[in-house]
Amino acid sequence: MANRKINKRDIEKLLNQWGQEFTVLAPSKESGIATMSKWNGKHANFLDWYRNTVIPPKGNFFPSMERMFNFQKDKEGYHLELPTSNEQKQLIFGIRPCDAKSLAILDMTFKDAYEDPYYLPKRKNALLVGLGCTNPCDSCFCTSLGINPAESSDVDLMLIDIGDEFLIEEVTDKGKKLIAAASGVEEASEADEAKAKEAKEASYNKVTRKIDTEDIKRKLSSSFDNQDFWEEIAAKCISCGICTFLCPTCYCFDINDELAKGLGARFRSWDSCAFPIYTKMPMENPREEKWRRVRQKVYHKYGFYPMNFGVIACTGCGRCIRQCPVNWDITQTLDILPAEA
Amino acid sequence: MEQRLRQEAKTLLEQGKVDYIIGFEQGSLKFTTAPLITKDKGDTDRLVINPFIVNNLSVYLTDIEGRVGIVAKGCDSRSIVSLIQDNKVNREEVVIIGIPCPGIIDLSKIEQLVGKDRDELDDITRDGNRVVVTVGSKKKDFPITEVLFDNCLGCEFPTPQEYDVLLGEPSTPVADKTVSRAKIETLEGMTQEQRWQFWEEEFSRCIRCYACRNICPACFCQRCFVEESEPQWILPIPQWQDNLIFQAIRNIHVAGRCTDCGECDRACPVNIPLRSLTKEMYDLVDELFHYKSGMDKDAPPLMTAYEAEEAEDFIR
Amino acid sequence: MTITDISQRRRFLAKDNVYLPHITIVEKIIDETPTVRTFHLNFKDEKLKKEFTFDSGQFAELSVFGIGEATFCISSSPTRSDHLECAINKVGKVTNALHRLGVGAEIGFRGPYGNSFPLDFLQGKNLVFVAGGIGLAPLRSLIWNVLDNRDKYKNIDIIYGARSPADLCFKYDSDAWEKDKTVSMVTTVDKGDENWTGREGFVPAVLEQVAPSANNAVAVVCGPPIMIRFTFPVLEKLGFAPEQMITTLEKRMKCGVGKCGRCNIGNLYVCRDGPVFTYAQIKNFISSEY
Repeated sequence: MANRKINKRDIEKLLNQWGQEFTVLAPSKESGIATMSKWNGKHANFLDWYRNTVIPPKGNFFPSMERMFNFQKDKEGYHLELPTSNEQKQLIFGIRPCDAKSLAILDMTFKDAYEDPYYLPKRKNALLVGLGCTNPCDSCFCTSLGINPAESSDVDLMLIDIGDEFLIEEVTDKGKKLIAAASGVEEASEADEAKAKEAKEASYNKVTRKIDTEDIKRKLSSSFDNQDFWEEIAAKCISCGICTFLCPTCYCFDINDELAKGLGARFRSWDSCAFPIYTKMPMENPREEKWRRVRQKVYHKYGFYPMNFGVIACTGCGRCIRQCPVNWDITQTLDILPAEA
Repeated sequence: MEQRLRQEAKTLLEQGKVDYIIGFEQGSLKFTTAPLITKDKGDTDRLVINPFIVNNLSVYLTDIEGRVGIVAKGCDSRSIVSLIQDNKVNREEVVIIGIPCPGIIDLSKIEQLVGKDRDELDDITRDGNRVVVTVGSKKKDFPITEVLFDNCLGCEFPTPQEYDVLLGEPSTPVADKTVSRAKIETLEGMTQEQRWQFWEEEFSRCIRCYACRNICPACFCQRCFVEESEPQWILPIPQWQDNLIFQAIRNIHVAGRCTDCGECDRACPVNIPLRSLTKEMYDLVDELFHYKSGMDKDAPPLMTAYEAEEAEDFIR
Repeated sequence: MTITDISQRRRFLAKDNVYLPHITIVEKIIDETPTVRTFHLNFKDEKLKKEFTFDSGQFAELSVFGIGEATFCISSSPTRSDHLECAINKVGKVTNALHRLGVGAEIGFRGPYGNSFPLDFLQGKNLVFVAGGIGLAPLRSLIWNVLDNRDKYKNIDIIYGARSPADLCFKYDSDAWEKDKTVSMVTTVDKGDENWTGREGFVPAVLEQVAPSANNAVAVVCGPPIMIRFTFPVLEKLGFAPEQMITTLEKRMKCGVGKCGRCNIGNLYVCRDGPVFTYAQIKNFISSEY
């Protein structure tokens, strides 16, 4: 079964067609930063400048602020009500392979034992149309984590740039159905397939930043207690939440209530292990010192998560490196991990 | 200047005059520098001075224990003075290595002008009053008034006011106040409803990462008001209303301490124009109290001093 | 995967939503100390009231709607299940709000979460309970559980201490245990007042004096972290192997189900792989941050 293809000029029409059935999200720069926003129905110019969004796609399934339930008190007592769910399905157009993998990594936590009732329904109702990278950034290091920047098995459809056109790979049955009746889609020729193969290789080779995960695994098991090393590494960190909030695989959250005039709601919102009060208890705080928090972050992603789920909780998207106000670079840290305690 | 800096830093550590050196080193991305905090005199060879040394390093002074040799541009040295006024830093425990600042290049402005992302540019060099950007074999140059940070364009004191060593000749301000206040002028031209809507839209993007607060040298509270739960001043939930109030209160808390270094604006990952608030506060402080922060280390902090002759026209 | 498989753990979910609390009503409030109160709770829903059960050592998340949620161990025993009991120490926003409530108030309840004390392992053994201050609360659930099945266990030693006589909790229980001839009960305070006629001394020191035998014994310890850290060496000196020492740990928690991330020690979450741990497990923790 040959793959299909579509001309880049016809993407607008396709998005509009999909917009009849789904809420289509596509890259946009209206707020000055790249975000996945509701498709404006106008033009697909984002194809000219789009590399990746600042806020990762986790924000569409695990938003920075989410209403868990409402509560109200009357003479009978408290009444708790779940919020009505948005019925329309999301279609995210342009998700990168690193971000698509990150959703698969997040699934492991949210599915584990007690199924998360907020994240999972959104995930089930969403369609992902991946867009292969042609121009990885210098902060990207996805290839070291087993990801090809132009290939993904974690999306429903995968679009690969072959010049004026995109080759369309049908990855799941949902994707197959999605593209079946799509306008502007043609059969791809063998030459197109060859171009796609070349494109994938080219993208892979463009990623220059690398880490050695085997080496890291070894060194992590011995460097946990090396306080001198971690104090030095943590010195310039300012304990803000940028790296954790913009990380597509970070999922720590806080739960808080809001109450006004007898009506209220419980929310969950993003929280960060980098914040000093994250683990604070009334009598003591096990991570009072900054170096402990920095160490926790590195270990959770590269040590503890693999111990629990068999996969490193990082997809090499590079957002943490690019957005950190003090250029704290996790690949540099991982590179100089001491081999002894 | 770089060589002199490295020599100074090395000598300070060798002679045991300081425990730490805080300066800038080459970052891990193009056209980026990172703070370097070290006790090792061998590391001083990594210190750099270039058009991208944007961080306000004085933010580290309140956390570090020991004597520090710190690299400071104009705005940074005023932040250090402000910390000395607040008794957070002891003048005898810092050696201020002053750098007369020619203005720092704003990469996002260059990205917009050239239409390419920073890692696609090959070189950016400052040539007097112009900045030359090289991409492959093509070169394009821009006047510095188009590529420096907004706050650098309005800077009145680029040469450190307080220093132990000054590396180079005092620099003259670029002082293009129009660009520096452009965004604020636009806001002042709006109606109250329009302004309210503008800020609602901007603060809806805020994710409460607290980078603005943590990167600010003036925000040195051990426990920020946001972290208090009894009473709960604002919720930790990133609703736009709480985000706006957080920023408003933060500005009031740092009034008289903020030196318009612009770090909060630069650090914000979602592009909220925080400087439109901080610069407005900065100018208000100047207008109402004839006070510019960080100029006199012996003066009491602004909000703790009261003169009988002070303006009272805002009391109605 | 080293994470505990909790798919078989009993769950009572409201509307299939693990974060949605059940409504419970406060039936009784007992003032234990100036800062600690015990709340007797019961589910508003009649069916749940009859069906709900848990194991000793498990905890629940109690909510004051509009203020927040906090973690409390269930201090009543599953063998006495006509109501649930939680001991609440007034230390912060939620606990202060709980203390302001009266009988008849409605509180949210999510649980039971966490693992439990290994009753199978304890059966047929001599048990030594060592508790400090409000740390008696989780042990209390286990002690009554054990006493209600007395013939399954051998000797029982209870060593309980607090900072001062006013800080001793569950006095009605310690009185009953004093009178129980099958139990050897020792109470101590760090510093007595003018009316105190009992022992004085820190719990680990008193434990060393009492010197219970380690032969076929298991020690169950709970108290402030510093007390636990000083008790383990004493038990080791008395000949207890790390597998013979059990404790229950406390961390800041929010979700209680291993998702929000904050209660971790290395790759383990105290809310799902704990809070009950043996000292053998603790010695293997990657971090000493417990």
